[in-house]
Amino acid sequence: MVPGWTGRSRRFERDALPHLPALYRMARQLVGVEAADDLIQETYLRAWRYFETFDAATNCRAWLFRILRNVWINRWRKSRLELPLAETGEEQVEPYYDWEDDFLRDEMSAEVERALSELPADYRLAILLADVEEFTYEEIARVTDCPIGTVMSRLNRGRKMLARLIRTYGEAKGTGPKPDEFVRRKL
Amino acid sequence: MMDCKNIREILDLYVDGELSPEATVQADTHLAECPACRNTVAGLNRLRQGVKAAVGQYQPTLQLVDRVRQSTISRWTHVRSWVPITAAVMLFAALVSLFSSQVRGVVANGLEVAAFHLDDSRATVMEGKLLCRDCLLKDEYGYHAMCPTRGHHGSLQTRDGKVWNILEGEASEELIHNSKLLGRTVRIHGRCFRRASSVEVDSYEVL
Repeated sequence: MVPGWTGRSRRFERDALPHLPALYRMARQLVGVEAADDLIQETYLRAWRYFETFDAATNCRAWLFRILRNVWINRWRKSRLELPLAETGEEQVEPYYDWEDDFLRDEMSAEVERALSELPADYRLAILLADVEEFTYEEIARVTDCPIGTVMSRLNRGRKMLARLIRTYGEAKGTGPKPDEFVRRKL
Repeated sequence: MMDCKNIREILDLYVDGELSPEATVQADTHLAECPACRNTVAGLNRLRQGVKAAVGQYQPTLQLVDRVRQSTISRWTHVRSWVPITAAVMLFAALVSLFSSQVRGVVANGLEVAAFHLDDSRATVMEGKLLCRDCLLKDEYGYHAMCPTRGHHGSLQTRDGKVWNILEGEASEELIHNSKLLGRTVRIHGRCFRRASSVEVDSYEVL
């Protein structure tokens, strides 16, 4: 124990600081490498300020991600205009994930990141919370302050959109299959 | 019984582990029999793994971690801990140093110097008991007092136990040499010379 530390400091060290790498990963995808440090700094300052209100019986990681999202919306997102999420009809027959066995097994991180950055921010956030941070739908709903149905919808549409973009970038790179190489099937 | 269309509708729920146990069993049953749907599930899982691999490769710099610590817990640590730590160290050092007679001497001299500066050669009123200086020294240190042959030598002992020499003078003649006054309480008006532990008498009154 460090002399002079308050109980609050010890709890913050134990409960909040270990999640910094996970929050950083998310920050980087939301605002880019240049602003990620600032977003993290501000998130932790706010977390520290309100740490007394945090219920230790609940999930600290989800609490921190919720703060991160709020800081991001208040500081960064409002400065960037985004088109509203189009409620397009389902494309029932497109086999989004039916790529060949070796596709996406190769080194395609750059294409995946580029595709992620092209997604509407709410879709991107839902996908990152589910696939990278492995939050439950209920936790994602709390973090993003929306109903679970909306979470499900964002994940479904976002993943399909992401798959389509990755396929496009994969084709451009020459590592992915040509469009006509995909086997379309009716469901 | 689920078919391919049902699986497509609950695909995300299935890979995210959000289906009920019953629905999961039904989906597993269908997937065991349907290579096309198995392929779709595998493709979606590869997409999820691809996202995780692409995003998970980044780590915060040590500078960022330090900066966050400094701006949160460490800031309070510095403010709150240094004051009591410094005070405790100083107190401990002071206590330890008092075990050394040299340090005690230095401290005593220092206090004396401070006292001289605060109160030296000033007009003062001192009150105390008149006692024989030589007899005191004899009692305390075994000093070979000449009182039986030369007579007593009056001095002033103040309440703090300190013994003050009374300087010779017209006004102090009785105080020093009249042994009948010994043991009486007197109030002296005069000047105090702390460095010489002496008092010059302008006037006095026997209380």
